[in-house]
Amino acid sequence: MKREALVKMVLAAAFLGLVLWGGLPLFRHRHFDVPVIKGPGVTSVFRLSELSPRLKGTAGDTYVYALQGKEPGGKALLMGDTHANEPEGMLSALIVIENAVVEKGTLFVIPFFNNSASRNTRPGDGYPLYFDVATDWGAERFRFGNRDASPLDQWPDPDVYIHYPDRQLLSFIDVRNTNRTWPGRPAGPLMERVTFGAMELMRREKIDVAVDIHGAETMFPVTNCIVAPEKSVKIATLAALTVKATEGFESHVEPSPAGFRGLSHREIGDYSETMPFLLEAPIPFLDQPTGPKTTKFLLDGKDPFLLSLSKKKKLFVPYDETGWPLEKRVGQNLSVALEILRQFTKKSAAKPIILRGVPRYADVVKNGVGRYLMNPAKAPAGAVVMN
Amino acid sequence: MIMIAYYVITAFLLVLVGWNFVGEKKSRNDLVLYLLVMIPLLLRLLRVK
Repeated sequence: MKREALVKMVLAAAFLGLVLWGGLPLFRHRHFDVPVIKGPGVTSVFRLSELSPRLKGTAGDTYVYALQGKEPGGKALLMGDTHANEPEGMLSALIVIENAVVEKGTLFVIPFFNNSASRNTRPGDGYPLYFDVATDWGAERFRFGNRDASPLDQWPDPDVYIHYPDRQLLSFIDVRNTNRTWPGRPAGPLMERVTFGAMELMRREKIDVAVDIHGAETMFPVTNCIVAPEKSVKIATLAALTVKATEGFESHVEPSPAGFRGLSHREIGDYSETMPFLLEAPIPFLDQPTGPKTTKFLLDGKDPFLLSLSKKKKLFVPYDETGWPLEKRVGQNLSVALEILRQFTKKSAAKPIILRGVPRYADVVKNGVGRYLMNPAKAPAGAVVMN
Repeated sequence: MIMIAYYVITAFLLVLVGWNFVGEKKSRNDLVLYLLVMIPLLLRLLRVK
């Protein structure tokens, strides 16, 4: 063999080794499924592609869990992982699916709203691919995703995203952001098909309340709050005041800006009869001036740089040595979501939405998130859905 | 449709760079550079990243 051919073969082998070394973890992460146990209240599970047929067979398709009460009433939708790097929404949704029993009304839950984003990552920011939540039966592993869908599923990005139908010019990356592609269209880019599916669910089922659960940086002004448009602001305010008075935590109300298009708290209300609410719990992991983006930091929210900034009053939330742990974030989401449903029921007595079995803030802070996650190994046959 | 076109373009570029790699006779630096350029193209074609 010629020396030149030998050199090329060695280099090509090294190249393939590099591709495998870097690519395999990403490949495994993309194909890692999370078991979700159908809890006592789940009455049916279907895919979003039933409402948006052009999602079928794509990574945009995702499961919808329906929890129908024994008695009729109002209807609500709960969404997590709209931004898959804000996992407190997904965990809150899972706790509801695995624990809630609806007594009156119907609840729909979409735990992995942007399924594609939950299988994406942000290696340039050093994001971990997974995180583990300690439970009574061992650690449960979850994918840690990205804010935007994977370019493997929707590619290429345009130079500028022209929002449909308002034609507002948004950043190119927002074409893969399911909190900019509302209300969507049936044959638009994949993420518009996802939001269109949810809009169809709300329109066909005549859903009364939609809660989109997020997390936001401590240095971002719209954090630790309920974002609500005009039609939802009364219930949001009552919910915010009630949790502050009875559970002792802050979650103020932010108005949904009418001129900023594509967001769930704006478009859901404008294009359906549903009242939208967007919950933001502070997630220090998303802030930029922090230490390494480790799973420990993701879970406990403790960072010395943020602590220093807090002392200089640069943060929009109180922050001390205790950080902002996952338990607080998930607990806040659950309490605020439950309170929104309670306030809606008080206001609309003919359409009650009453559920039990869902822990509130103090329960989750005391017992941890893992206490409310079911063991897939002990679940009855057919009760586990791989997401 | 546009996505499929981009995959075709990626495959074309990969073949082009691969062809240059095979045909390169003199510079080892260029060999390494060809391989580096091929990494993202191959990862996208294999639908890894």
